[in-house]
Amino acid sequence: MEEKIYSIDPVTEELARKAEKEGIETLWDRKKVMKTPCGFGEQGLCCRICAMGPCRISPTEGKGAQKGICGATADVIIARNLARMIAAGTATHSDHGRDIAHVLHMAKRDGNYKITDEKKLLNLAKEWEVEIENRDIYDIAHEVAEIALNEFGKPFGTLRFLERAPEQRKSVWEKNDIRTGAIDKEIATIMHSTHIGCCADAKDLVHKGMRASLADGWGGSMIGTEFSDILFGVPVPRETEANLGVLEEDQVNIIVHGHEPSLSEMMVLAAEDPELLQLAKEVGAKGINLSGMCCTANEVTMRHGVKIAGNLNQQELAVLTGAVEAIIVDVQCIFPALAPLTKCYHTKFITTSPKAKITGATHMEFEEEKALQSAKEIVREAVLNFKNRDTKKVFIPKTKSHAVVGYSVEAIKSQLDRVVNSQLDEGGTLKPLADCIASGVIRGAAGVVGCNNPKVKHDYGHVELMKELIKNDVIVVTTGCAAQAAAKAGLMSKEARKLAGKGLAKVCELVDIPPVLHMGSCVDISRILVLVSELAKLLKVDISDLPVVGAAPEWMSEKAIAIGTYVVTSGIDTWLGVVPPVTGSDIIVDILTNKAEDIVGAKFHVEPDPHKAAQQMIERIEEKREALGLATEAVEA
Amino acid sequence: MNLFNTIYTGSNQALAAAEGLLKKAIEEKGIDHKVAFPETAYSLPIIYAATGQKMNTLQDLEGAIGVVKSLIDEQPRLEPALNAGLATAVSAEIIEAVKYALNETPYEAPCAGHISDAIIRSLGVPLVTGDIPGVAVVLGECPDSETAAKVIKDYQSKGLLTFLVGKVIDQAIEANVKMGLELRVIPLGYDVTSVIHVVSVAIRASLIFGGIEPGKLAEHMEYTKNRVPAFVNAFGPLSELVVSAGAGAIALGFPVITDQVVPEVPTLLLTQKDYDKVPATSLEARGIKIKITEIAIPVGFAAAFEGERVRKDD
Ligand code: SF4
Ligand code: SF4
Repeated sequence: MEEKIYSIDPVTEELARKAEKEGIETLWDRKKVMKTPCGFGEQGLCCRICAMGPCRISPTEGKGAQKGICGATADVIIARNLARMIAAGTATHSDHGRDIAHVLHMAKRDGNYKITDEKKLLNLAKEWEVEIENRDIYDIAHEVAEIALNEFGKPFGTLRFLERAPEQRKSVWEKNDIRTGAIDKEIATIMHSTHIGCCADAKDLVHKGMRASLADGWGGSMIGTEFSDILFGVPVPRETEANLGVLEEDQVNIIVHGHEPSLSEMMVLAAEDPELLQLAKEVGAKGINLSGMCCTANEVTMRHGVKIAGNLNQQELAVLTGAVEAIIVDVQCIFPALAPLTKCYHTKFITTSPKAKITGATHMEFEEEKALQSAKEIVREAVLNFKNRDTKKVFIPKTKSHAVVGYSVEAIKSQLDRVVNSQLDEGGTLKPLADCIASGVIRGAAGVVGCNNPKVKHDYGHVELMKELIKNDVIVVTTGCAAQAAAKAGLMSKEARKLAGKGLAKVCELVDIPPVLHMGSCVDISRILVLVSELAKLLKVDISDLPVVGAAPEWMSEKAIAIGTYVVTSGIDTWLGVVPPVTGSDIIVDILTNKAEDIVGAKFHVEPDPHKAAQQMIERIEEKREALGLATEAVEA
Repeated sequence: MNLFNTIYTGSNQALAAAEGLLKKAIEEKGIDHKVAFPETAYSLPIIYAATGQKMNTLQDLEGAIGVVKSLIDEQPRLEPALNAGLATAVSAEIIEAVKYALNETPYEAPCAGHISDAIIRSLGVPLVTGDIPGVAVVLGECPDSETAAKVIKDYQSKGLLTFLVGKVIDQAIEANVKMGLELRVIPLGYDVTSVIHVVSVAIRASLIFGGIEPGKLAEHMEYTKNRVPAFVNAFGPLSELVVSAGAGAIALGFPVITDQVVPEVPTLLLTQKDYDKVPATSLEARGIKIKITEIAIPVGFAAAFEGERVRKDD
């Protein structure tokens, strides 16, 4: 029998095999049971939007059903499904951003949530023309938070953060009527337009999707990132370790999984609480070992160097180690499978958010008003659970990798200051990076983001793509589960510059960075938008002119679709490693992979083979360089 | 134009020039005619360090042309671009060697041309002790003699060893800059290719003081980058040839600071239009810190001024 390889990550492979042997169900088993996926769904050809349906359209033209009962064509059905995916993705990031804005609104000098980065707050206040003279910083914060909260439902005008884009980009949006209004409105409009008997123009539905996606990247996500930085600090470079080998045999292992830093930040504090540490000793543990999973891991590793336990496909495997006292989750990308699975071990599966209750889990609602106390109660639960650990079942893989993380835009700038000649330039800008790109020492930059997906070998797409890019002097910035794949594969250690081409390796040496930069969680892709906007402004071009590309090699979520769409809409070509459910419509495929370029200057590319994708990305980068005539003019700071 | 393309163009020009000159020399002198620089045990030092081979005749140089060709691979990447810079250095060494093959004394005062082993050995100690804190290669043409003199004297006052290449030599003479080995200002020659005689100094430092085996090019480059605190100031319009020679300097670890607008590479290739700031910019780029011995003398004080006369109008 042919042996299926699940992952390029030895830890994942080892634990997945262990599960197989012990008959413990994982996502790969459920994938197998699913057999061949439904061809209609795979191509996007089925519709369940009303009760006249479900309807499904024959993939063969002229044979079988060509229209739904209402008369919707394949193009319309697929466009509606796509738009709804974008709306859902936008909704998750936006609700996340909204929550963080609320947290800033409740921040108090003597409260659990405080302002950590006043400078970032003041900059934002200035950007939004909030009075700052002679005012209490908390009053400023509350006003800024209120403005942000109004971005979600303001009746008039367009999003404030859209103004951060270069002028050329803004006029592209203006010309094409893509400038997004209130965040929630865009989401609601899609839900409206995709109702039975509403919008039946495929092209217009894609357009609506593009517009709504900006409400994610330049709206909800950007608010999430900005406000998280203000509250919890702007990330700076720090060392950490990644993979399930970070679990400790003799400590209480707590994994935070999910997305929102308002919870995980408090967990970090609670895990350091002397009383709880004492309690851990009393139950026979040497300490409390907090690690993270998925985007929550990214948030706390970026700001505190908390160790990364793993990415999406590893959440079940963490339980399989038998060494995890509690998995504490909030929202998004949490497999409900954890509920039955944790029942086979002593692991407590604790949900905390009213937005994501899971049957079979222990729900301990995290109350932001008494955040730290809430977090301590949850940690206490975990500590007390240590004594239930069955040592016979414990199996912690040895493997973990060293990584340097924490590359916010601000941190990148301060690293770049190392190479600024004080006789020539002021520090604090991206000019050195722009120079390196313009001169050709670095050919371009790629953002590699997104999830895991059992349709592809775990982490293979991420790691191979990144390796190929850095080898060709393309600097890689990454977020989300892609970033964790890179961390585990050692691409975020400074040593990894050996894998880079000479140009990139030289820059890494001079600037003292790894060739793959961890820029944070999925909402932190907004950092990448800020980065490319500033680069474009320095080079006096549009974002779509930059030798910059994006990729989501192993995407799976609707969030990833929203992200991909706003990245393309922002002018960056994006490669998908997993085919989206749109292939049933030639018109939609043509818009996404071709015509979009005429509208927003970028398009989607679908290429499951990461090596081929890398070559295509590099070719695209070279084309853009050629078109720009890089570089005759010096960059002006 | 694109920086790497400029480099490749210059490297190909240098290659063509070397080939042409070599062909002419072979026609004139025969293929077995002897090739050597005076007073050195390292043959043609750059080729020797790069390949481990000594060049004895014009025929050997034909082989060296092959080395140049192998170093030019026109890919849009830093590594091949730096290699092309090294190719230009090898071409320049071939051209300079042919000059010496055709003419016993191709260089005349004030130009030094090839520098002897003995001089390099004498520079070793002050370089190690930091008495010579750096090596400046000033190349091209300044807008006027005064500017040239200001820059050169600045280096002189800080004790740097300065090599001059091109029109800047005349400008320095016109502005009464005192020159000579003991004054640490050495005019090399008027052709761009004569810059190779300072590269030869750096490479021989690696062979002599570094004890690095000939043929281990990467190790030589590591040595020059870490141990020879040199940099280049390229003034005036930059030909493709100069740009590709500059890439050779960068390959050896020597930053290039120019007054021309070029695509900048942080710490390695910088534009400084303010001549007053050229020395400070250069020293910072090369990481040279001057040991300042505070002496209450209000004029530039350094070993390089030993023996200088005070002119009336000073
Ligand atoms: S909206 Fe139209 S296509 Fe969709 S289920 Fe209803 S009738 Fe069928
Ligand atoms: S990258 Fe994808 S799987 Fe990972 S946390 Fe983000 S949305 Fe979820």
